[in-house]
Amino acid sequence: MSAVRRHDEGDDLLRAYFERLGSPTTWSGLATKSFYGSDDLRNLDYRRDLGDPGDFPYARGVHADMYRGRLWTRREVCGFGSARDTNQRLRFQIAQGVSGLSVINDNNGSLTIDADHPMAVAEGGVQGVSLSSLRDMEDLFEEIPIDKVSVAFDLSGLDSILWMAIYAAMAEKRGLELAALRGTVQNDTLHFQFCGYGNSCPLELGLKSSVDIIEFCTRRMPLWYTGNANLYDMRENGIDAPQEIAFGLSLASAYVEKAIERGLNVDEFAPRRAFYCSCHVDFFEEVAKLRAARRMWAHLMRERFGAKDPRSWQFRFGVHTAGVSLYPHQPLNNAIRVAYEAMVAVLAGAQSIHCCSYDEPIGLPTETSQTLALRTQQILAYETGAARVADPLGGSWYVESLTNQIEEQALKIMGEIEQKGGMVAAIKSGWVLQEIESAALRRQTEIETGEKIVVGVNAFRAEREASTPGGIHESPPGQGEVLAAAVRELRRSRDNRRVAEALRHLHAQALGGERVNLIPPLIEAARSYATTGEMMGTVRVAYGQPYDPMGVLAPPRF
Amino acid sequence: MMRRTKILLAKVGLDGHDRGVKVVAQALKSAGMEVVYLGIHQTSEAIVETAVQEDVDVVGLSSLAGGHLVYAQQVLSLLRERGADRVPVVLGGTFPFEDIPRLEAMGIRAVFPPGTLATELVGKIEELARSAQQESFGNPE
Repeated sequence: MSAVRRHDEGDDLLRAYFERLGSPTTWSGLATKSFYGSDDLRNLDYRRDLGDPGDFPYARGVHADMYRGRLWTRREVCGFGSARDTNQRLRFQIAQGVSGLSVINDNNGSLTIDADHPMAVAEGGVQGVSLSSLRDMEDLFEEIPIDKVSVAFDLSGLDSILWMAIYAAMAEKRGLELAALRGTVQNDTLHFQFCGYGNSCPLELGLKSSVDIIEFCTRRMPLWYTGNANLYDMRENGIDAPQEIAFGLSLASAYVEKAIERGLNVDEFAPRRAFYCSCHVDFFEEVAKLRAARRMWAHLMRERFGAKDPRSWQFRFGVHTAGVSLYPHQPLNNAIRVAYEAMVAVLAGAQSIHCCSYDEPIGLPTETSQTLALRTQQILAYETGAARVADPLGGSWYVESLTNQIEEQALKIMGEIEQKGGMVAAIKSGWVLQEIESAALRRQTEIETGEKIVVGVNAFRAEREASTPGGIHESPPGQGEVLAAAVRELRRSRDNRRVAEALRHLHAQALGGERVNLIPPLIEAARSYATTGEMMGTVRVAYGQPYDPMGVLAPPRF
Repeated sequence: MMRRTKILLAKVGLDGHDRGVKVVAQALKSAGMEVVYLGIHQTSEAIVETAVQEDVDVVGLSSLAGGHLVYAQQVLSLLRERGADRVPVVLGGTFPFEDIPRLEAMGIRAVFPPGTLATELVGKIEELARSAQQESFGNPE
């Protein structure tokens, strides 16, 4: 049979009537049986292997009362155009009933270059919000009560530490206590090594900055989650479910090790670590994956890192539904995929969810598409009853077997990583990137050969649409120039003596070595309205890196 | 005689999403093409310079972060300036289908959204390469 099936083939109807289930393996290639029974779990010990929700090893969830205690945080990632543009959308989201905010920056921000950088103009505000200084941060959160809303920064590189410092500077300017702020920063600088932005974020400097955030928040912002191991981006790059948790837990362990090296006690900071996971389209496999990850992390934290506080053992995670599972063809199909994926997140006990919009593989979301994504979460929360009981799939012979299978595979991969000297060494050697790339190829081959069916892509295709239902998000022409002009204006109007002084101080501190936390001098510099490019450039120079990650700008004289 | 098709692949601008273009590079190699992959963070100037130096039959741009209209226009204009506008330029990645008429109007010869199968991709690129080669070497008859 041809891999690419069309609905206009001759005896289609008969074939469709007698069609059997295509592939009995999961999307990650795990074999499954036609049914499972009690024999499959003969060795299962409830207390040892599962525990009640809220009990070690947390396979069934980190809270006994789960969503009766608190529903998951309903966020929708947001960022486009200027800080003012994004502020409008954030306020719109609040009016629609989100329970947390999530902000993402543009490519310039990810690379820590300013909006007026020569290579930045075409990118300003295109893939996320443009933010070059405290002034933009003030605009971004204008009239938003940041002491009352949890804010997630969807950023992973050296932009993480910059945003933390600028956000803190803004909060202090508003007269707020840092200790009252609630939120999350992704802060997974290591994953930038294989997710497309490596050159902006040298590995050692990245790690140092990640630990600075952990240390600073532990001391000063105790309600803040200091970092999410970014399993999501790796999964989006093509790896499978066991690889996702194996790579993810190994990444997370690397930060725990580094923070302990810095002199922190594991139980001081581990309760405020979290994970950023994908929920892909293979329903039971994804539920099993997240349950396995919880159990593995609990053991890892207790046995390997000697954590004593139960909160340190808990795998808390936010979910981003899988963008890579969505296609531009028949775009409304994506809304269905997203709904299933979000249901997985709820059944698996997620602490926070972002639903992709159906236009994710087309462009940034419109108000319409993003509202539907939020409504998907609200229907799940209020209508379906999916949130009623903790770990409703626990005890299913199939789900428990799959959980064991995934754990076994993931442990094997983690063993391999350990043999390579840990995750940092595995990244440096190029092994992680190789694994990701070959997994991506495997996945594409499965679709090419029809081994796996994707509706509208290699089966049930239709004519290509000329337009997207609900319209598309478009950047206004000249947006990048306007954003660049605003930064140039800032450079003229601010007190440049104060800026130079703050940057000189930052430079001196950065020369002080690994253990000198750079957030306090970065807050000082942010307050003077130094730009992100100036601040990170200054740090980079002190660390023997070029001032400009793109190699265009020369360092200014201090 | 037709030579082996040579294609330049690059990500233009600051977009870091490079999984797709690497999978594409592999697929085109497997189909027997010669692939020059420039990697991420390329300027339009660098892409056009390499296309000319390497004498490629096709240029393939990858864009997943909304820069497609700006960068496609830059690359096409620079190729024209260099007198190399016989080289067909194609685009893959994430973009609204609404932009396809605009891309075609500026001179992009084919677009490949997510979900494009390798067979479709290879077929279209070979076809463009053949017609470009015929244009530059004259009809082989």
